[in-house]
Amino acid sequence: MNLWNRLMCYSRRRSPWLFHMNGGSCNGCDIELIASLTPRYDAEQLGVRLEGSPRHADILCITGPVTHNAVNAIKTVYGQVCGPKAVVAIGSCPATTNVFIDSRTLDGPLNRHIPVDVFVPGCPPRPDAIILGVAKAAEILAERAAKKIPIDPVVMPLVGPPCNGACACSTPNAPKSTEEQP
Amino acid sequence: MNILTMLWRNLWGGSRTMLFPARPKVSQGYRGLVRFDPELCTGCAICRFRCTARAIEFRAGKGDFVWSYDPGHCTFCGRCVEGCKAHALSQDAECPPIYLNIGDLKNSYTVARKAPAPKPAAPAPPAAASPTTDPAPGGAQ
Amino acid sequence: MNLTTALARFLIFPGLLFAVPAAWFFLWVERKAVALMQGRIGPPFMQPFYDFIKLLGKDTPPRSGVGGLLMKLWPLIAVSAAAGAVGLLPVLPSSGGFEGDLILLLALLELPSMCIIAAGFSSGSIFGEIGSAREAALSVSYNVVFLLAIVSIAASQHTFRLEALAKLPASPMLWLGVVAILVCLPAKLHINPFSLPNAEQEIYSGPMTEYAGPELAMWELSHGLEWVAATGLVATLAAPHLTLWWLAALVFVALSFAVVLLLSVIAAATARLAIDTTVRFYWQCTLIFAVLAISSALFMRFRS
Repeated sequence: MNLWNRLMCYSRRRSPWLFHMNGGSCNGCDIELIASLTPRYDAEQLGVRLEGSPRHADILCITGPVTHNAVNAIKTVYGQVCGPKAVVAIGSCPATTNVFIDSRTLDGPLNRHIPVDVFVPGCPPRPDAIILGVAKAAEILAERAAKKIPIDPVVMPLVGPPCNGACACSTPNAPKSTEEQP
Repeated sequence: MNILTMLWRNLWGGSRTMLFPARPKVSQGYRGLVRFDPELCTGCAICRFRCTARAIEFRAGKGDFVWSYDPGHCTFCGRCVEGCKAHALSQDAECPPIYLNIGDLKNSYTVARKAPAPKPAAPAPPAAASPTTDPAPGGAQ
Repeated sequence: MNLTTALARFLIFPGLLFAVPAAWFFLWVERKAVALMQGRIGPPFMQPFYDFIKLLGKDTPPRSGVGGLLMKLWPLIAVSAAAGAVGLLPVLPSSGGFEGDLILLLALLELPSMCIIAAGFSSGSIFGEIGSAREAALSVSYNVVFLLAIVSIAASQHTFRLEALAKLPASPMLWLGVVAILVCLPAKLHINPFSLPNAEQEIYSGPMTEYAGPELAMWELSHGLEWVAATGLVATLAAPHLTLWWLAALVFVALSFAVVLLLSVIAAATARLAIDTTVRFYWQCTLIFAVLAISSALFMRFRS
């Protein structure tokens, strides 16, 4: 990979711009997404910017089970996001429609309509989990841009105190949960 | 002027931000991932009945049953934990991890059915007094 | 000013070679200072550079017709105008200039806003039109004060050469003008409290809504260059006259940095004002300032 491609790959990972779209959610996940921009969690330390226009963004963050009214809007906005893009489904609603599973107004989980890259489970997920999901999506974008060439394993230097071990998800390669036993 | 003193204090008081991979501790009562103990489970499937989001699946079989739980479906309401009489389920203070494909987090356990626990010794039945009230076992008549 | 000096000023210092990294630096300083004052850590140091490179690598939506051509044109005009404005700044003591280069500087400083307005209308999106209308109202309001302030400083010295203005000794006239320019800068640079054209939740990025990829990178760059040009103008007016060229350059950078910090404090301390309050602010409160400045300039002129 020549210098320009490596620079591009690196920049894509360091500069994830989000566009947030609500696909019919209860707003819990939307609130937590906005909370991730507050001083305690500060998504901007990763270069995340919440953009006003889908054309500016790389990562589309979608919340909510996809209602019938939202399907066309989501597909339109997905088409409007330019260039290399990634989709993060925030909350368990876009992944599996969660508690709304028997509702007649829904049109299935999100990946029936658009390809989803990262799922952030939770109801609602914590802001730090959302930031982790966005960081993972930025890595995926960078890998995709580099045409599947694996990027340098020292991806992001670990700054700050290591995670206190309360959760198993601080590394992108979390062990599959079928291996761990309670 | 209040805002300017606040900004000044923020500037020198240091940030409250957690640097990226660090995550805050969750509080005591945080309702996180559901933990299953196959030793205690009696296979009553009340948890599947009570689950609001169909995160718990229960496939009954002859000698064993398969219990599975998908944190991707779960809404962490805790109804399954409340409903489990055998206390086989508990909720951890642990956030579910992010995943890349649906069903990645699903956890299945095959649990052998246990023999029911022996009943405690019953007190001596009252003496059968009147023959009329005695329910006749079939064929005695 | 001969061709070599002009090219050197446009391309090297304070032109593109200095201005583009300075633009990224000032953008970072603003974001970081606002973040620190809000109690969080901000983006890492090279963040505007990464944003720029990433934007260069994104696709653009297909555009057709004259509108599409115009949309590609406006960001290029904005970048060149802002770069030209930076190049015209009289930073070094003996850089030469020409009679009337103040007028050219003011025109070049105006062009990026004009391009934003035009871009919003040529993008054909309703959000673009609303954003451009807001930007136009903003431009009409702060420009009166801005131009009156600069013209008053120039009129008091009977000159329109930037070099002569840079050599001015400190006087109440000069400081009045500098303060009036500083009041207009938040509106020119679209930061709080006058960040109306960028109102994200209201109009989806306003004039920039339909832009993506390299064009958006050019817009961001022109925004950064506007920062350098506007703060540089204040720095050259406020700086004392120095003969050593490296000292003059250093003082220029330091003063621009101080102005950037001041604007960041203002941005962190205020919220976005609506268009009517903004226009009222500029036409009612600060116009008095500018009128005072121009009338005292003319008064001094007629006295001397």
